[in-house]
Formats: sequence, C-alpha cells, structure tokens
Amino acid sequence: MDSFFIGIGVALCFLMLLTLHRAVHGPTAIDRIMGVNVIGTKTTILLVVIGTIYHRVDMFVDIALAYALLNFIVTIAASRYFHHRKNLIPKGYGFRIRPEEKK
Amino acid sequence: MIWQLDLSVLTLIVICAFATIMVKDLLSAAIIFGAYSFLMCLLWTEMGAVDVAFTEASVGAGVSTVLFFAAVYQTSRKVGARKSGRLLSKAFALIAALLTGLVLVIAEADFPGFANPFTPASLHLSPYYITQTLHDTNVPNMVTSVLADYRGFDTMFETAVIFTAGLAVIAILRRFKKEDRHDLPEPYVISEGYPDTIIRFVARQLVPFIQLFALYVVAHGHHSPGGGFQGGVILGASFILLAISFDFKIVLGIMSERWNVLLGNIGVLIYAGIGFLCLLLGANFLDYSMLSKVLPATDKIMARSHGMLGIEIGVAIAVMAIVISIYLNIVSHGKYDKGL
Amino acid sequence: MTLVVILLTLTGLVFFFATTIGILRFPDFYSRMHAAGKGDTLSSLIILLALVLYNFHDINLANLLVAIKILLIVVFIFMASPTATHAIIDAGYEASIKPWMKKPEEES
Repeated sequence: MDSFFIGIGVALCFLMLLTLHRAVHGPTAIDRIMGVNVIGTKTTILLVVIGTIYHRVDMFVDIALAYALLNFIVTIAASRYFHHRKNLIPKGYGFRIRPEEKK
Repeated sequence: MIWQLDLSVLTLIVICAFATIMVKDLLSAAIIFGAYSFLMCLLWTEMGAVDVAFTEASVGAGVSTVLFFAAVYQTSRKVGARKSGRLLSKAFALIAALLTGLVLVIAEADFPGFANPFTPASLHLSPYYITQTLHDTNVPNMVTSVLADYRGFDTMFETAVIFTAGLAVIAILRRFKKEDRHDLPEPYVISEGYPDTIIRFVARQLVPFIQLFALYVVAHGHHSPGGGFQGGVILGASFILLAISFDFKIVLGIMSERWNVLLGNIGVLIYAGIGFLCLLLGANFLDYSMLSKVLPATDKIMARSHGMLGIEIGVAIAVMAIVISIYLNIVSHGKYDKGL
Repeated sequence: MTLVVILLTLTGLVFFFATTIGILRFPDFYSRMHAAGKGDTLSSLIILLALVLYNFHDINLANLLVAIKILLIVVFIFMASPTATHAIIDAGYEASIKPWMKKPEEES
C-alpha cells in the first residue's frame, strides 16, 4: 500500500508540473494567480498523502489545514489588486527576456 | 525520505526559481514566488521536518507573499533598467555568484553523508534530546522543547528581532505630514474598488474560526507541530483577511497603531519577564523549574512545561501585533488612509 | 476496504487530470477558471474521503478524531475555494478581459 501512495504522490507532482506551465506561461497575470491557486490545493492533498505514507497522519493534518487557509488568503489578496490597478499587461512584459519594442 | 517525491518536488522548485527571475513583470514574479514557497514547504514536510514546514507555510507562503503584493501595489510593476553599463554589472554579478557557489560546494564535500548515524551531532547530542525530553520537561514534541526550554535564550532574541523589524518598517515608512504625498505616474488607472458581498460574507464567517485555529496551534504546540510563531502568524493573517475583504479602516479601528506597538512590547516583556521571574526566585535566567515555587500544585518537571506555554503565548502576541503593523504600514505607504 | 480506498483515490486522480487538461487547453480565461474551480474542489473531496477511509483500519477514538479533522479540511475547502474562484473571475472582469467568442460562420 505504501508504494501505491508514493505513486499517487508522483502523479500529483506531474500534474503540478502541467499546471506550472500555465502559471509561468500564462499570457496575463490573472492566469498565473489561477495556476498558483490550483498548485496550492494540490499541495494540501499531497501533504495528507505524505502523512499517510509515514503512518502518522495526525501530525500532518494541522499543516494541511493551515495551508488551505493561507492559499485562500493569498488568492484573495492577489485578486483584490486588480480592483485598484486595472491595467492587465503593462506594455512589453510577460515571459520574455527582452521587452518588446514600442509601437 | 522518499526519493521519488524528493526528485519531483525539487524539479518543480528549480523551474519555479528560474521562472521567478526571468519574468519581467513584478506582480507575476511575486505570484510565482508564492508558488515557490508552497513547494518549499512540501519539500520540508517530505523530509520529516514538520515544524519548519509549518513555519514556512504560514510565514513564507502566506504573509510574505501578501506583503509582496502590497509592496507592488504601492510602487510599480515595472523593472527599472539602466541603459548603460549593463553588460559589466551582469558579468560582475555572474562572477560573484560562481565564486560563492564554488566555495559552498568545496565546503560541502567535507560534510558527513545524509542521515549518517555516526556524525558527532547524531552520536552525542540528538540521543540526549530524544531520550531525556519527556523525562525532563513532560513535553512530547522534541522540537518545541529544544526551541523553548533548552535553547530558550535564542528564541527570546528572535522575538526581539521580530519586534525590531516592525520598528524598522515604522521608522522608514511612517509619515505624518501631508506634504510628503506624491502621486503615482501616469499609465495606471486607479479606482476605489467596490465592495463585494460574497467575499465580505465568507470572510466575516471564517475569521473567528481562523483565530480559534490559531489559538489551538499555540496551545497544542507541545503535542503536535505548532507553537508560538506559527499561531501568531496565522492570527495576523486573519486580520489581513479582514483588511483585504472589508475596508482598511476597520482593522485600524480594532487594532490601532498604538495597540500594535504596545502588544509587540508586551509579548517580548512576557518572555523576558518569565526569565526574570526565574532569576528572582533564585535560579538561572530562563530556568523554568524554579517556577514551581510560584505556580500552585506543580512539581519541577510540570513547571518547565508551563513555563514553555507562557513564553509561547508571549511570542504569539508579539508576532501577531508586528505582522499586522508591518502589513498596515506597507500597504498604505505609511499614510494610513486606504489600502489594498 | 482497501479496494474502496484504491478506487476512490484513482477516481480523484482522474478528476485532477481532467482539471489540469482543462486549464491547459481551454481557449479563454473564463473557461479555464470553470475547470480549475469546480474540478479542484471535487477532486479534493474524493481523495480526502479515501484517506479518511484508509485511516479507519482499526476504529478507536484517536482515529476518529483524525478523521474529523480531515473532514474539517474538506469543509473549509468547500467554503473557501468557490469564493476564491469568484474573486479571481471578478478581478478578470474588472480588468476587462474579453471573453472568447466563436467566429460567426459564413452564410453560403
């Protein structure tokens, strides 16, 4: 049963890699907020799975609850930013090495 | 120590680190840095260090990311670039980083192997703590007993450092005169932000339970991962949630500036006060076994456990007040009029 | 009991996989948020339920308390994750992201 849960953990990490592609490559900043929110929820699940692998779930449940809490607070803070400053992509930014030329 | 999970999480962390540096937009870099903190906490959990993981989750992934957003909100999302001399400064930075890495790798070759049971720390120091903690202090959590009892002096100065950090932010940012204001540059569209019913309702329902959970974390630190720091940060984060979903002034009405600094003081005072009380009762500074003379119906071993609970409460109060104070200062740029 | 745990965990993993494919492949920010918000919450419920059942291999008070704590995580995620989804979509609407429209077909 242990190796089954290790397999589940590795599968969750692979899914996190796919979501990280959206978080890094998302054309706007809000896509990145969404990616980090999903990564945070997956990490909460992965914490309880790690606790099950170590056969001491009661130690890891507190951390998972605090994690879900802080994921929520960070997402609300990040999205409240866009109520105040409304320009979505400042011109010339994103995942590029050089800023683009002025038109 | 599961090597499959270790390898996968480390790969994700390296990708996050590269992405944080290479993205040119500061807000997006702060967001990806939040993801990096999330994954770092996972790595420490997987190594079995649950107290460190709890602290990283609450401080690094929670409050620190919100403080980054507050800082970007008050300044700008652009990276300021100098046009001249960029190549020279980049070459210099590369050489400095390579030299530091080389020194660290050479020093690392002398370390003992990972989880080697014959290192000096594992032969002499760790077995003492593992066998003697429950017998000396009646606290099952070894990390809390080392932090708060055997090495309590360090923790007192850590709390003083947190208080000094709050004072430093006040000293740099707080401004009282009206003519220090200046407006932000042109390309930003600024609005007030309208009140959102759903977020307000859910935040108002959740905040009492978050605070109850934070008090549970402080009080249960003797038996499960937790303790004063983590509980204090979660308490501060609940006030930050209130400030974000409602208005900035509401938190200022509950925890005014004067009360924040006062509570930070009181936290450090509780810690040093318990140590001084032990001094007055005839033992060393921070030797809690002498508290059995003052507390009713405890022997020397239980007095150490109660002394640790007392200082954890002091640390929690100090950390909560300073986290709220730092957030209020950064998000309003010291002017205390409106926030995120 | 072990068979039920394995089935539930694999179902949760399939839903997580569907969520991730949705985040990568949908053409527009609003549809991606649909996939992320709903799929995430449901998968968390199923996998955590499986871990609660796995914990019950012998029933005593300590295991019961741990099971109640894990269900508390589920209740919290059920309250917080849809609110976070609402907050992000609201931020997107405030920042004027245009929704993806299908191109009108030529009438021949």
